[in-house]
Amino acid sequence: MAQTLKKTFYSPRRTGHIVCCLLACVLLVGTSRAADRNPAWPGNHPLTLSQAGDLLILELRCAACHKGIERGVLSEKSAPDLAQAGARVSPEYLKKFLAAPSSAQSRTTMPDVLASKPADERQQIAEALTHFLVAQPTQKFQEETPSKENAQQGQILYHSVGCVACHGPRETTGETPLANRSDSEADDEEKKQNENVTIQPIAISLGHVPAKYSLKSLSEFLFQPLRVRPSGRMPDMKLTPSESLAVASYLIGDHPKQTAAFQPQEPLVLLGKTYFRELNCAACHSLNNIPAAPLFGSLKNADISRGCLSQTSGKNPRFQLHHDQVQAIKASLTAEPEEETEKVLLAKTLTAFNCIACHIRDDFGGVPEQYNPYFATTEQKLGDDGRIPPPLTMVGAKLQSAWMKKVLFDGETVRHYMTTRMPQFGTANLSHLPSLFSKLDILESPDWKIPSPESDSESERAREKRLRPAGRELMGDKGLNCIACHNFNGKPAPVNKGIDLMTTFQRLQPGWFNSFVRNPGSFRPRIVMPTAWPNGIAAHKTILDGDTDLQIQAIWYYLSLGTSAADPPGIRDISTRLSVGNTARTFRGRSRVAGFRGIAVGLPEKINYAFNAETGTLTAIWQGDFVSVNWNGQGSGDFNPAREPITLAQDVSFTVLADDDAPWPLMPVMTKDARVNPNPLYPKNLGYQFRGYTLGETSIPTFMYQFGEIEIKDRSVASAINEQQGLKRLLQFGSPTPQSFWFRALVGDIRMHSEHVFQNGKLRLTVPDVKTKLRVLSKEPNRSELLLRLELPQGKSNLELLYEPLEK
Amino acid sequence: MSRSRSSHIRRPLIFILFAISVFGVARAEEVGDRWGTEEREREFYPIVNIPLPPDTVIEAGAFAVLPDRRIAVGTRHGEIFLIDGIDGAKPTPSFHLFASGLDEIFGLTWKENAFRVTQSCELTRVVDTDNDGVADRFETISDGWGYANYHEYAFGSKLDADGNQFVALGLSESYYSHALNRGFIMKIARDGKTTAFASGLRSPGGIGFDEHGSLFYVESQGPWNCSCSLKAVSPNSFHGHPASFEWYKFAPELGPVPESPKSGTRIATERKHVKQLVPYAVIFPYIRMGRSITAFTVNKTQGKFGPFENQMFLGDYTLSILMRATTEQINGVWQGACYPFREGLSTGILNVEFSPEGKLLCGGTNRGWPVRGIKPFALERVDWSGKLPFEINRITIEPDGFKVTFTKPVDRATGSLSDSYAISAFTHPYHGGYGGPEVDRFKSAVKSVSLADDGLSANIVLENLKQGFVYEFDLGILRSCDGDELLHRNAYYTVNEIPRR
Repeated sequence: MAQTLKKTFYSPRRTGHIVCCLLACVLLVGTSRAADRNPAWPGNHPLTLSQAGDLLILELRCAACHKGIERGVLSEKSAPDLAQAGARVSPEYLKKFLAAPSSAQSRTTMPDVLASKPADERQQIAEALTHFLVAQPTQKFQEETPSKENAQQGQILYHSVGCVACHGPRETTGETPLANRSDSEADDEEKKQNENVTIQPIAISLGHVPAKYSLKSLSEFLFQPLRVRPSGRMPDMKLTPSESLAVASYLIGDHPKQTAAFQPQEPLVLLGKTYFRELNCAACHSLNNIPAAPLFGSLKNADISRGCLSQTSGKNPRFQLHHDQVQAIKASLTAEPEEETEKVLLAKTLTAFNCIACHIRDDFGGVPEQYNPYFATTEQKLGDDGRIPPPLTMVGAKLQSAWMKKVLFDGETVRHYMTTRMPQFGTANLSHLPSLFSKLDILESPDWKIPSPESDSESERAREKRLRPAGRELMGDKGLNCIACHNFNGKPAPVNKGIDLMTTFQRLQPGWFNSFVRNPGSFRPRIVMPTAWPNGIAAHKTILDGDTDLQIQAIWYYLSLGTSAADPPGIRDISTRLSVGNTARTFRGRSRVAGFRGIAVGLPEKINYAFNAETGTLTAIWQGDFVSVNWNGQGSGDFNPAREPITLAQDVSFTVLADDDAPWPLMPVMTKDARVNPNPLYPKNLGYQFRGYTLGETSIPTFMYQFGEIEIKDRSVASAINEQQGLKRLLQFGSPTPQSFWFRALVGDIRMHSEHVFQNGKLRLTVPDVKTKLRVLSKEPNRSELLLRLELPQGKSNLELLYEPLEK
Repeated sequence: MSRSRSSHIRRPLIFILFAISVFGVARAEEVGDRWGTEEREREFYPIVNIPLPPDTVIEAGAFAVLPDRRIAVGTRHGEIFLIDGIDGAKPTPSFHLFASGLDEIFGLTWKENAFRVTQSCELTRVVDTDNDGVADRFETISDGWGYANYHEYAFGSKLDADGNQFVALGLSESYYSHALNRGFIMKIARDGKTTAFASGLRSPGGIGFDEHGSLFYVESQGPWNCSCSLKAVSPNSFHGHPASFEWYKFAPELGPVPESPKSGTRIATERKHVKQLVPYAVIFPYIRMGRSITAFTVNKTQGKFGPFENQMFLGDYTLSILMRATTEQINGVWQGACYPFREGLSTGILNVEFSPEGKLLCGGTNRGWPVRGIKPFALERVDWSGKLPFEINRITIEPDGFKVTFTKPVDRATGSLSDSYAISAFTHPYHGGYGGPEVDRFKSAVKSVSLADDGLSANIVLENLKQGFVYEFDLGILRSCDGDELLHRNAYYTVNEIPRR
């Protein structure tokens, strides 16, 4: 019936070479089209003439005024919301645009509703309408000069996130296309096609943007374009507010327009409102509940040489359409009515929303050669698949339906390495798309039987026991080493950081997975992923006896287990290193060096210590880096000193001994056979209670605790005496009464250097002028404890200790 | 935190495979294991991802809403972030690190210009005394419990009307009680005085107050618990696992040690012997309604979140789902129902909270235990789209059956038919073994149905209403006046008591 507009050509090798033109906005007169292709609707689409006409009718919203146009599933392109237009658009621009739309913005879909009016009347009506529109919002249009930094950032974003796909590059990169093969690598067929198809891709001009928007209004629009233009032809590019500001800064440029303050005048506002009604602007723009005029006559069998499609229309709005486009609309209106097939609806949808600017499906769509360099990746070694959006061929058989909706409507993505973003077109606009894909794309599913570990059947359980470890082994570094190029549950892969394997089971359908892994190259000729089963023969002969079907099934089963299966061999838990900057760092967590109520303190001078808050004891000192923390598995974050520490006893530090020979009260000991704490109130019954800590200057902590009635503040800072690094610990006591008790300073093989200086292994301790007692605990091995007798007066008093870690 | 099965064994996700025999059968993955409602739910309650700062791990363990409408999130990494702008249509919130270096936060509340933070080691008051936006004072309010095993998690409630706070203490390794007070709920009074309040916990996942202001905690499936459940906490109550009896000698305030429960009985019979034993208030049938349910919050959004005002919302760690629950007190005993709500979240849900705009924040991690969600950690927001789903709103018990209310009027043709109400009942063994089957199942014949004139409720009279049973509703036949199917056809009511006529 209808003529096919495009010459179909397809080779799977043509990724990145197939010409794409711009469809997202209808391109009218002035579009730089492909020379010999596609006169009614540009781009590498599969639409016939009348189908292109169908789309034009939607994009131009013919049904807003005319009867007899059947509304289908595909949404019309809606007109912008004008409620805030007065704040969003420069009044000067509004006037110019309303007086002659296409002179202000080439290729606009806004018809010239004043075409038949004399020039002065056009100006007068445009002026009144501008006053009316500017009077609507409470906010006013306000100019602002973009910063250079933002503009530079915007330039990078514009050329990397995907704006180029529809609007074309504004700067040349000066780079060769990324990761493309040279011509010498292309095969003969491809070279021939390159010669035949040398079509320039089309870019929707943004030339009008600096005159139209303010920095603020443009960045707000770019942040949430669907709020103003809900039909999604300009999609949400997932820009953050700061990214939106950057791109807006870039587009506005550094030559802001000089606009005089515009104050709407009441008589003109009223007049503008009258024109708004008379010109039936409400047919397309809803504003203030102004009703649209009744629909006009049907377009079916209308004489389109007259009316709004002609260049000599009378009172009608005038669309300045290209001849081919008029023919397409005519073809659409005169075509015999027939039910739209799902295939056609899908093609129209992908064309209308310009999905085909980035994606190939079957024999249409794809990134044009000229735009190819603007599709980049952070994982170069993934090749083109790391930077070119994936093909949509068979995507309905590839993705799980729920996942496809997450991608289309929730902004979900797994290709973190791809700089081009999958835009969001609005749920309402594409709600029909997932089911279309799944109806059209059918791939035979393998007849796999899922093993069940809790099956009643013994053989079934045995099968499960065989498949699960096999799947795990195949994934791991001794098997197919999938984890070398795929992240695994957020853990980065060592070689290429490809799609996280944890997503596989929820994203993909088993039939597609089965076909894809057997021969990835048949789906994507340039893919870097190898096949582990060349010609269907397993490379690994020992796992599952080299049975190809069983191996693939085992991998699928293993992936279905998600985090309930053990990680593949080669995935290693990595401890998190905590570093210390210009201020001290305090970290609570259990530790072998500080007990379950441990606290690690790192000082900027690279000396660190641990404090057992359960007993009120300084328990470890080390120099250099701070700690590594285990946040793997079920761990709640236990810490380990980053370097081997000097460890001290963890029993309570303060006590009153019944007599000088009474033993120091030690922590209760639990054993494998007696695991219940026999003395759970050990520190508390000895008068100790932790009270917390404060972070003072440079975040150095002061621990607060009590010993009986005595309040103790305990703060340690770095010291350096004769290049010997140390920890100066100041204990401040506050006691309501005079007190006499013991402080246990050291336990171990203690050597006394002087009355005030002691050494235990690699730790030298200097104590103040108080009574000390070095008690021998055992001779073989030599073990003693250093006790300090503290005689506190009523009120405040101090004790200062110096801990020095020695190299030898 | 709910800990299904042994903490050492990574079990396959049976739920994924349940009732599936062959790959490739259309939607085979959607039966049995999942509710299969994800794609319909999104029309009413879309899930919005909250973008996190780059290179920042936020495994949400607790939330608090601040007076300035910011949201505070306490994490498993021991950090507190203040989040501004979480309610935006396209959220791009800012995250401010208020405090760090704490030990796994599973309780967060704001009181008198300070956070009260429940960490594994203690309940701490965290203050920014110099108003520079960063915490600088960490005061120990209470450390009245032992902490000697990594699995000894502590969950903190918000404050009750008198300023008391409650901390639920999981067992050692989820089986034993080796350290002081493990398996207790501690009450921390306004002045910091800490006393034992209840015993018999196994592996709690959260603690808080229901719509009536009564204290409940979340318990996980395991020994003495065949399914996860909500349990009503009263002073000196015992919640079924005897491991914590060890510490009664340190807690005279709890009274005498309860009689040891007899394994292999039923909760309804055993509670007659063990006077402190409180039966599960709401049982969440295992796998069908979660495998490891976690902390709950109550919807008091005044309609901003749709039709489920004053109901509890809670997540499940393993299945990455959200559920609802309602409670009522009958003859002095708490009981109630649970209902499916939303599946398809991205990670294991550890906690939930309503934002100032009435949106449900959910967060957690998939670290350490089996989780369906495929993200190592995530913050997500469930919004109400404004469309009214056709749902079972609430089930309450009557002397001879149940009253079921709906969110939309039920059509008379299906709503008046007894056959539209398929109701069966089961119970669990009460025993020391890990988990357990659903037993003594019977179909409960519907004697009569009375659909209200407005179609918004139905009174169902049953042949057989028994204490100690979970009544399972399948109302899949019902249609709304608009011809809608129920978004979720099932609900589960735990009968501990039957109201007197």
